[in-house]
Amino acid sequence: MSCIGVSIVQLFARTEHLAQEIQYFHSSEKLRSLIIVSGYYNKEKNFKREILVSAESLKLLESLIFFFDFNASRLPLKSLDLPENVIASFIDPKNANQIIRRLNQIEPLENLRHVKRVQKKILEEGLMVCRPCIYVLFWNSCFCYIVQLLTLEIYVTGQIHLSVILCLASEGDNQLDSIPPHLQELISFYQLSPFITKVCKYAATSKEEWQEQCKFWPTSYHPRTYTDSCCFRKPELSSSHPVSDIVAPNDPLHLNSSFDELKQPHMGVACLYPWLWAEQQSLAQGLSNWHPLRHAAIVAIESSAARDRLLFPSMGNNEEKYLELDHEKSSCTSSPAKRLRTIPENVDDNEKVNAVSQSSEQLSERPYLCTGYDIFLVWEPCAMCAMALVHQRIRRIFYAFPNPNAGALGSVHRLQGEKSLNHHYAVFRVLLPQQVLHKPDVEVAEIK
Amino acid sequence: MASLGEECSTETLAFMELAIQQAKLALDVLEVPVGLALIPKLPLPASCVIVEDGKPIASGRNRTTETRNATRHAEMEAIDFLLEQWQKNGLSMSEVAEKFSSCSLYVTCEPCIMCASALSILGIKEVYYGCANDKFGGCGSILSLNSEVTPRKGFKCTGGVMASEAILLLRSFYEQGNPNEMVWKQPLRL
Repeated sequence: MSCIGVSIVQLFARTEHLAQEIQYFHSSEKLRSLIIVSGYYNKEKNFKREILVSAESLKLLESLIFFFDFNASRLPLKSLDLPENVIASFIDPKNANQIIRRLNQIEPLENLRHVKRVQKKILEEGLMVCRPCIYVLFWNSCFCYIVQLLTLEIYVTGQIHLSVILCLASEGDNQLDSIPPHLQELISFYQLSPFITKVCKYAATSKEEWQEQCKFWPTSYHPRTYTDSCCFRKPELSSSHPVSDIVAPNDPLHLNSSFDELKQPHMGVACLYPWLWAEQQSLAQGLSNWHPLRHAAIVAIESSAARDRLLFPSMGNNEEKYLELDHEKSSCTSSPAKRLRTIPENVDDNEKVNAVSQSSEQLSERPYLCTGYDIFLVWEPCAMCAMALVHQRIRRIFYAFPNPNAGALGSVHRLQGEKSLNHHYAVFRVLLPQQVLHKPDVEVAEIK
Repeated sequence: MASLGEECSTETLAFMELAIQQAKLALDVLEVPVGLALIPKLPLPASCVIVEDGKPIASGRNRTTETRNATRHAEMEAIDFLLEQWQKNGLSMSEVAEKFSSCSLYVTCEPCIMCASALSILGIKEVYYGCANDKFGGCGSILSLNSEVTPRKGFKCTGGVMASEAILLLRSFYEQGNPNEMVWKQPLRL
């Protein structure tokens, strides 16, 4: 079996340990990078080519992807999710209970809650597995090769194999030496033989991603469930397509509702070059009001805070004073500069649902900041905006275009994956249909 | 991020002292019993001072509760004050950018990711902070936005200036307590 004519996704689906194999190949051959080129016909009989890039360091990986992006035309690129090294060991199923209980006490996997501690494998009797040959193009230092990988494995018994994660591996060459002493005791007591393996660093955000992850080591996956389904009416036209790791595919978007917004020639140039952006603003608004930090998300938060104060005015003198102040403020920021909406429609819907509680308008019943709100952004927000949206407790973020220079939701940083933050929102990238992008009154091209 | 070394001059300490005084003021303001009952949660007594050429030119403190806008951190308040002032004085954008590049910020608590990002967008010269912020810190704790050069400007960052005083202040804020449970359920900026 050869990988020619197979997409990388299929390749991964067929071979259980392909990712591990690649990693192993990396280390045994002392390769700096490994690139798999794949070509196949999709269902529409179009020829698709894909490149999978895996490299010893993130830096190298990035520069390779950059290289292919610019030199090797428009092939879809995939990079192997850089996994976390852990120390694991096979264990006797008889002792499994005690060992796992003890491990959870002395070495809890705080930052890897999504990773299952135990991997269980039932090997079928007498099964002979011939691993596929992969055409691999790789280079080490200065040579290029094309080789074939072929591995043969024969499983003989119907045993249950249990392996368990002992602890995180530290950086460096002698990773196995870094096992803390209290674990050493456990290892010698049960006569375990630790080895290094990989687990996925981040919890999966989609079922597909989860299935991919489980090929490394089983993880758990909890699809997001939102109780208020009123946000999106049943989509007649599902115009969003899932994008690798940031879109939950079972969450289709009805884009018609945001068409009106898109038609307006106010596409956000959130933070490509902040000072320049301020200059563009000033042309539109008169020189007195430019502000280098007034990005779309910040303006939206300000407006929503002003709305909150309007809807739920409190009796305190202080508060009233601030309310007036912000009337002035919002009047100058809300109109042309406001280039996105903080889902006023959805808020209304929510309010209808909560009509009973909202109608009384008790101070304690009002939503805390933007809890339960969604925001639609044209561009992926920068670190400042992304963090501001964390502070303001936004529930979901939808954006159309990634920002490779400053984007903080996947491009440069990945704020939604920072464990330490006290609030986490769901992030979706919306793929806009072609006809929207090519409408003459949408000034996408200009911005790009 | 530079750690606190011998170069921590008396000037640095004096400005940090000023920031801490401001924070104490914020704490005192909220002890007024009228305010307490109505305000669902207290803003943390974090506060900052912006210094240009050895002169403090702006200060700010958290106003997240009053504005119901969780992004109104001390740094953002001070920045907005300065922008408004300078625009009123008719400074052009490049002049404002130049002014920011000669300013230092003294803040009791490490700027969060949002503020650190804002400060690097503005191109501030340097930041001195008291205690680190291991939840949201954008100057080394969680992200290091100060040392990221592209596409914005990085800035010099010194942590641990009078950290114990800053921590004490935060502790006294928590010990002071709040009759409203919301504070603990929905933690504020630390």
